[in-house]
Amino acid sequence: MAQTPPDGSVAGPSATLTPEAPAVSAPGGAGESVFDLEAVSVFYGPTPAVRDVSMSVAPRRITALIGPSGCGKSTLLRCLNRMNDLVPSAHVEGRVLYHGQDLYERGIDPVEVRKRIGMVFQKPNPFPKSIYDNVAFGPRVLRLKDRPAERVERALRRAALWDEVKDRLHANAYSLSGGQQQRLCLARALAIDPDVILMDEPCSALDPISTSRIEDLMLELRKEIAIVIVTHNMQQAARVSQMTAFLTVAEEPDVAVEAGPGEPVRAGRIIEYDETEHVFTNPSDPRTEAYVSGRVG
Amino acid sequence: MAEARGAFREELARLEENALGGLDLVTSSLHRVLEALQHQDVELAALVIADDDRVDGRYLEVHQGILSLLARQAPVATDLRLVAALLQVINHVERMGDQCVNIAKLIPLGGHEPPAHAEMLAKIDDMGRRASSLVTQSGECFARRDEEMAHDLVRQDDAIDRLNRECFYLALEISGDPDTREWAMHMMLVARWLERLADNAVDIGEQTAFVVTGLFREFTDASHPEVTPSSPLRPSG
Repeated sequence: MAQTPPDGSVAGPSATLTPEAPAVSAPGGAGESVFDLEAVSVFYGPTPAVRDVSMSVAPRRITALIGPSGCGKSTLLRCLNRMNDLVPSAHVEGRVLYHGQDLYERGIDPVEVRKRIGMVFQKPNPFPKSIYDNVAFGPRVLRLKDRPAERVERALRRAALWDEVKDRLHANAYSLSGGQQQRLCLARALAIDPDVILMDEPCSALDPISTSRIEDLMLELRKEIAIVIVTHNMQQAARVSQMTAFLTVAEEPDVAVEAGPGEPVRAGRIIEYDETEHVFTNPSDPRTEAYVSGRVG
Repeated sequence: MAEARGAFREELARLEENALGGLDLVTSSLHRVLEALQHQDVELAALVIADDDRVDGRYLEVHQGILSLLARQAPVATDLRLVAALLQVINHVERMGDQCVNIAKLIPLGGHEPPAHAEMLAKIDDMGRRASSLVTQSGECFARRDEEMAHDLVRQDDAIDRLNRECFYLALEISGDPDTREWAMHMMLVARWLERLADNAVDIGEQTAFVVTGLFREFTDASHPEVTPSSPLRPSG
């Protein structure tokens, strides 16, 4: 049964992206899952990038995806809001359930999915508009018309940016520093009151102070929403996340297509998914151990 | 694939070598203090006291090295457990050195010709040699990451505990003679310190098991001897 989202918005024609169906909990999870991935594989053309990923993402937790370059962690993250649809050759197998609703089910509008499941990218990407309009953008397209100014202020406060911009809300977003722009992007994602935000290396272009502000924010936001973050920074994963998934690249001998002459196809797979403390103090798999301790990677 | 972080691994290995090398300093002090006890050798006892500076210096060196490593290299997983265990190991090394000093400080108090009781001295010597063997084995099991060998320390420690109790009752027995009483009480303390020294070696065995398994368990629970310890104590959280 579809329900009207708590924010009063109306979903697209067949997009019933509402938190209602129960799902498998993440290990050590905090109740009903936000996402449940069932045997998810992502292909670019015939070549697999990620294979056979099954995991669940718990609400009000920060889940970190870590692994060496090319292991498919960003690809996996982009599956969670159908961002991979923008790559013409990409296709997804398996099921990505958001509160029990398969995001790849026929009739689900990917644009609607992306509106509701926001993503913060490596480099801040504010729109060439005012600070206010950047934050008000999401609520406008979702037709969330109640008290827009209050909604913008609330989002900016949650992103710890309000005090810095309250006197220049109509200044161009590009006038902000890099760290401020990233927090603005976070405020933009928060403006529609989501229950999950995706982050793809959100601090890799930021200085240590701006990084620590984003990390503090994440820990504050996690009291209300789930965050899935891809990071190359091992210490960041250890500092902020409660759950960690380690992916690595493995040869796929059963895949018929060849990567090149005589080269086997390699794809990312989840090696270990557990509580962050466990992954960083006593990982179960030697490959995880080798990666988190910096021996290989 | 070639292993990365070579400098870090070398530094960690060097810290472990230095920490476990502290156990060699302890066995050397232990052998000397046992000999000093048997022969009432006040000079040798003084040497043990003076040499404790080397043990303390080793403690400071390893401790500082670990702090530096933690700050600069942020070890995780097995490396983190090893670093945490080394902090404990070097602490036990320092404590064991102090037990030897405690014994050495008693020796001059007995005077030139203390009323040495042959059976008591034999028991103390037996305890000391067993404790020395335990210290050596604790270092070996740690270096080899040999959990089974670590558990074997408990078996050997039981024999030392028994000897400690025997020394206690023997001290009571011979202290009826006022001339022997003070010396007997001193020997009771010596037995107690040797027993504590052996306990420190068993603790190093527990750290070995922690490095190997990631779970910390006391091999024996002194607070609840009637309960066989079964619930692991996670290192944190």
